[in-house]
Amino acid sequence: MRTTRRTRGRVAVPALLAMSLLAACGSGGDGGSAGSTDAAGGEEASCTNTITKTDAQQVTVWAWYPAFADVVDLFNETHDDVQVCWTNAGQGNDEYTKFSTAIEAGSGAPDVIMLESEVISSFAIRDALVDLSQYGADEVEDDYTAGAWKDVSSGDAVYGIPVDGGPMGMLYRQDIFDQYGVAVPTTWDEFATAAQALKDAGFEGYITDFPTNGRAFNQALFAQAGSAPWTYDNAEPTEVGITANDEGAKKVLEYWDGLIEDGVVGTEDAFTTDYNTHLVDGTYATYLAAAWGPGYLSGLADADSDAVWRAAPLPQWDASSPVQVNWGGSTFAVTSQSEIPEAAATVAKEIFGTEEAWKIGIEKGALFPLWKPILESDYFRDLEYPFFGGQQINKDVFLDAAAGYEGFTFSPFQNYAYDQQTTVLFDMVENGTSAGDALDTLQETLVTYGKEQGFTVSE
Amino acid sequence: MATTLADRAAQTGRAPRALRPDREVGGGRRIGSHVFLLLLVVYFVLPLWWLLVASTKSNSGLFVGDGGPLWFNSEFSLLDNLRGLGTHNGGIYWRWLGNSFLYAFAGGIGATVLSILAGYGFAKYRFRGRTFAFALLLGSVMVPLTALVIPTFVLLSKFDLVNTVWAVILPSLLSPLGVYLMRVYTQDAVPDEMLDAARVDGAGELRVFFQVALPLLRPAIVTVLLLTVVGTWNNFFLPLAMLQDPDLLPVTVGLNGWQALSNAGAGGEQVWNLITTGAFVSILPLIVAFLALQRYWQGGLSHGSVK
Amino acid sequence: MTTTTAAPVRPAPVRATRRRRTEIDSRRQRWGWLFVGPFAIVFATFLIAPLGYAFWMSLRLKTLATGERFVGLENYVKAFSDEIFLRGLLRVAGFAAVMVPVQILVALVAALVLDTLTTRLSKFSRLMIFVPYAVPAVIGALMWGFLYSPRFGPAADLFGLVGLDAPNFLAPGTVFGSLVNIVTWQWAGYYMIVIYAALRSVDPSIYEAARIDGATGRQIALRIKVPMISSSMVMVVVFSLIGTLQFFTEPQVLRSIAQGAIPVDYTPNMYAYSLAFSYSQFNYASTIAFALGVVVFIGSYLFLYLTRKQSGLK
Repeated sequence: MRTTRRTRGRVAVPALLAMSLLAACGSGGDGGSAGSTDAAGGEEASCTNTITKTDAQQVTVWAWYPAFADVVDLFNETHDDVQVCWTNAGQGNDEYTKFSTAIEAGSGAPDVIMLESEVISSFAIRDALVDLSQYGADEVEDDYTAGAWKDVSSGDAVYGIPVDGGPMGMLYRQDIFDQYGVAVPTTWDEFATAAQALKDAGFEGYITDFPTNGRAFNQALFAQAGSAPWTYDNAEPTEVGITANDEGAKKVLEYWDGLIEDGVVGTEDAFTTDYNTHLVDGTYATYLAAAWGPGYLSGLADADSDAVWRAAPLPQWDASSPVQVNWGGSTFAVTSQSEIPEAAATVAKEIFGTEEAWKIGIEKGALFPLWKPILESDYFRDLEYPFFGGQQINKDVFLDAAAGYEGFTFSPFQNYAYDQQTTVLFDMVENGTSAGDALDTLQETLVTYGKEQGFTVSE
Repeated sequence: MATTLADRAAQTGRAPRALRPDREVGGGRRIGSHVFLLLLVVYFVLPLWWLLVASTKSNSGLFVGDGGPLWFNSEFSLLDNLRGLGTHNGGIYWRWLGNSFLYAFAGGIGATVLSILAGYGFAKYRFRGRTFAFALLLGSVMVPLTALVIPTFVLLSKFDLVNTVWAVILPSLLSPLGVYLMRVYTQDAVPDEMLDAARVDGAGELRVFFQVALPLLRPAIVTVLLLTVVGTWNNFFLPLAMLQDPDLLPVTVGLNGWQALSNAGAGGEQVWNLITTGAFVSILPLIVAFLALQRYWQGGLSHGSVK
Repeated sequence: MTTTTAAPVRPAPVRATRRRRTEIDSRRQRWGWLFVGPFAIVFATFLIAPLGYAFWMSLRLKTLATGERFVGLENYVKAFSDEIFLRGLLRVAGFAAVMVPVQILVALVAALVLDTLTTRLSKFSRLMIFVPYAVPAVIGALMWGFLYSPRFGPAADLFGLVGLDAPNFLAPGTVFGSLVNIVTWQWAGYYMIVIYAALRSVDPSIYEAARIDGATGRQIALRIKVPMISSSMVMVVVFSLIGTLQFFTEPQVLRSIAQGAIPVDYTPNMYAYSLAFSYSQFNYASTIAFALGVVVFIGSYLFLYLTRKQSGLK
């Protein structure tokens, strides 16, 4: 494989030099995509896994799931006509940057790519994804919950097959609540009271952290109070509705701003080594987490062997009508650079479409399945988690949270929106801007940006 | 005068001073100077010491070890970590290290050769367009390569060269600074009289260059080579933008990717021990090369210094 | 100093007519281009062409919701009224104003001290101060990221010794200094070696007279040594300016642990990078890249032209 690439490079170099001289003379070129010929056929990719059935069609896949190697091997063992060639091209934004680069270059994207549902619209608008409804996506629709399916579809189009979800719950330190004699909160009012009570009782940490770079996390908390900042449908790709400063968002952000001012929640950045350690070392009494959170925590479990972790539902604004929200989770999409979209769609549909694959995903990768046959199985419901002292956290918390999740509409420029959200939240925490002003600024920025990008923006 | 200067620069730099008694500094001042130096050494070495210590710790040992940040834990995991580097993601780390070598040497040596030729050409020939060409060069010396990466990327993608080794090596051949340094040095160290003498003896232009000029340029070549090899070795932005295939990454981009994976909440793998060990191993080759070859580069760096 | 006057040392052969000499000259001229040629091709391909291409891209605009179209200089009007870009430029100017003098001062003082010593310790120090140069910027920034961490770094312990709380090195007010520190750590040793090597090649007898006249070590250092090595000082300034203008890697890596204090648009390079690769605005990113390239091109030319005496370019 490498030889092909090198050879092609050698031929192309003199051509490049010649052409660039032309370009230097001002001819420029026409912006067309010259390089689509070698796209993602799979013959030139290098796989992390070893493929033994070399005659079969190869589908290249980018994904960053833990323990994914075993899932890939399982797929390849059980399929003869198609084989998965897997690469870990980075997590989240790293992978999206590479994908984005490949789109601009006109080549280099894989056939199948793991995407969080929040970025699907952003790539669909760039014509980077294949509508899977033409490849039988509808056949598997019933295998997923309505909320999960809404996240991957836009109108009639389906841009991904759901894989894992991030229904939210609250992981907490039973030992800390016991030690300071504070009850575990079930509503946000109780949560605020508990935060103060822990502090008053001499707890030196915080009840939790409100990171300004939480991105999807912050947005999920807003959504729980009814915030729906985006109206967008891929069928009308140039129209977008933006209400980032709606009532729900303001209510939630004012709540957290109050807790921050009282000094009862932390404000350090998430996803740093310090933060990760603080999660497990007793600095925080709770970890507002998605269903993949426990797997993440247990990776660092030996940081504090005395910790007693339990899971509870996410606190509610109104206990009588609970609202469930989702943070993260992912899907498999087929890229429009794929020359074998049908085989690619097969991989997207089937790779996490067996119980065996899911047992690997759940037990080794700590994923939360969206595939109903396993999601609704006794096995998954009754699974006991040693990290939580044998608690059946799916039955107690996450299954309800997943069932109650109704889906969310994301932006066609979600990455920009998150970056701006981080900026205004940081401004609020560091410079004391009020929560309302912060969200108004965010709204204004996003509307301006939407218009600059040629959208018809409604507010 | 130019000849003597070049000769002297070609030496290690210490030679002319070896005979000079070191009496300008008295006892008290000497102690002060040494204390000052020791403080500097602590500042410059401390982070490397931290890295050495960290590379001997296990993943959880990094977080809760009994040794603290600057001392070894009772548990010594360096060998396990090295083994981990060989197995994590199929031992891709060693491949990254190999790529770094390939890019640094192909890019660095290529850029040096081009710089020597162009520097000599600018210094010793008065060809049409020279003034203009050199003015262009002067302007480009400080243009950040980072500003060029994005258009270069779009351009290379039109020729199907992104995500290949060429996307990193070819742009690395460009070193206006190298040409500038070579020109300054050539002008100074290669006297026209010597070239003319060789020409009168019947030598062609190529032979004049190889047999008369090149030997005189050795110290400057070392400088430019060091600069371009280290520059390519350290490059981050270029491969970050150009490469998607993990198998092609240099070690800098690869380790940064591991860090992002380890930091990320969603399903990220925690491989902090491999990051610290990988970082430590990756800086060893250059450090060892610097220590082993100091005789050469220290002399080379003194070029063009006296006017 | 090299004689560059036209008169050759040997008298030209008697038979050489003016015409013949012109022929030789023009053949020689071609050799000049042959030597410069390979570099010129690379220069045209990877500097002129990308800049030209960036300029061409910058005249067009393709947004998420609309197709590509020609917009003339609209992108430039936007860039030079774009607060984020201007703030980034100012920030880089600020880094240049602080980082360049700090690095050179550390390097110069270290080199002057080393120049007066020939002990084993001084030789050892010289190498140790230089060693960070061998550490890639990414790895340097990763390491310092750990060292700045209140939990993993030694700062808490060190400040604890004197009964103080360690400062947060990654807050908006301190991150500037933290970045300056990383770059200084990385480069000062290299500059020190360049200056030191220059000092060592100065003929020591030059100092003798001054010493006999009763000049102190410090006076010799400032009044004689520093002026003697002005060409090396110019080089070091050039190196450090290049480093500052490229400023990307360190803030980009440190950003992963300080996203609030280091926004995605912290420097113009980072801004262009995120515009292109996270927001897929390649046209506007090209505008920023080209504007930056041209500004620096002019500045670089002026600086090197004005210092041509000191650097030996004549």
